[in-house]
Amino acid sequence: MAFMSAGRPYRGARLTLVAPSGSEAAADARRPDGNLDWSRLMARAQDGDRQAYRALLEDMAPYLRALAARAFKEQSDVEDTVQDVLLSVHAIRHAYDPGRPFGPWLLAIANRRIIDRLRRQARAKIREVALAAEHETFSDAHASLPPSEESSASRAALHQAIENLPPDQRQAIRLLKLDEMSLKEAAATSGRSVAALKVATHRAIANLRKLLRVRNETPDRNPDETP
Amino acid sequence: MTTTPQLIDALVERATPVARLRAPLVRAGRWLCWAAVVLALLVAVHGVRTDLTAQLRQPEFLLSLAAALATGILAAIAAFMISIPDRSPWWSLLPAPALALWLSTIGYGCLTDWVSVDPGPVRWGETLDCFATLLLTSVPLSLAMLVMLRHAVLLRTRAVTAIGALAVAALTSFALALDHDLDATVMILIWNLGTAALITAAGGLIGGAMLRRVA
Repeated sequence: MAFMSAGRPYRGARLTLVAPSGSEAAADARRPDGNLDWSRLMARAQDGDRQAYRALLEDMAPYLRALAARAFKEQSDVEDTVQDVLLSVHAIRHAYDPGRPFGPWLLAIANRRIIDRLRRQARAKIREVALAAEHETFSDAHASLPPSEESSASRAALHQAIENLPPDQRQAIRLLKLDEMSLKEAAATSGRSVAALKVATHRAIANLRKLLRVRNETPDRNPDETP
Repeated sequence: MTTTPQLIDALVERATPVARLRAPLVRAGRWLCWAAVVLALLVAVHGVRTDLTAQLRQPEFLLSLAAALATGILAAIAAFMISIPDRSPWWSLLPAPALALWLSTIGYGCLTDWVSVDPGPVRWGETLDCFATLLLTSVPLSLAMLVMLRHAVLLRTRAVTAIGALAVAALTSFALALDHDLDATVMILIWNLGTAALITAAGGLIGGAMLRRVA
């Protein structure tokens, strides 16, 4: 992977950067060139020195961010990677040997987390499809996108066809289909029996089908004129 | 959503003193000592195969035994080496020559057995006994390896588990060759694959738990 080879120039003990934070605990962990000695800070952190640990993590974060920014475009990915690396470093901080340089140790962990994330993204890209706005529909008409011309035309035709139904069938369709009532609720509202509502709905749907089919075949004709 | 400064605060809060891991060679040595104890116990309880003295005079058997032992030792060293982030991944090739030699002796054994195979009675008692040896060797060794290498789940999980399983498999095979005169080649293969799968699965579980505990 190109990233691995790109990481090579960072090998060695010269990974320390100039510390932006002037932590007092870190003051005596500076090298002659003024940079923080990460190896010494980590050794102290292993002994439970929290100030040294904070200085180390805060000093490491910008370096990790720069490293992650070479692999990811999204700022959120970069920040997530930095956090992944910090968590990993914390989890296996006992595995660091202070006798060895800290840079390669950190870089190996950072590379691993970056590769993990790249792989996860590649897998997600194969499996997942981003939902576009038009894929989202909500039951509340106002929450959904405004309907397209075609769908509003067919909706108008449907409403027109419902208006043209006999009154008992129109009422059955309104209550049961448009208002989404149960048969019991519709019976209570309309004062009609469940059986009557069922029959009316059945006939209404048959009629609607006929009306709409005729309309599609001869769009210019009035549905009322159908035999 | 935790920001990075918040995460650093949380990590610093949990920065209790930790015991540093010893050098990988020392830890591999400890694991091998444990393996020696397990094998010694097994031999003490079960005894060695009846024809061991005669077998040891056969160069093929001796070579196979030595190759299995060498594979086990080198794979253990390799597993402990690559479990540390900054060690070269090339360490995983350390057991390769011994492994090649060991596999070639197994292959040679299979080939000669194939030629001289006869439809003898199936010896269930011996097979079960053999299976018990497999369990008694590989389970304690796998568990010890799992505990000692648990920090590697965040890094080269697959490589470490594969090489660790190879070390267990080779030493198990060594124990079998000492204890039984049954040719359990197929069983060794099946069992070793099972061990590798077990270690990998457990590694995955512990890795997730470790991350959750820290996060």
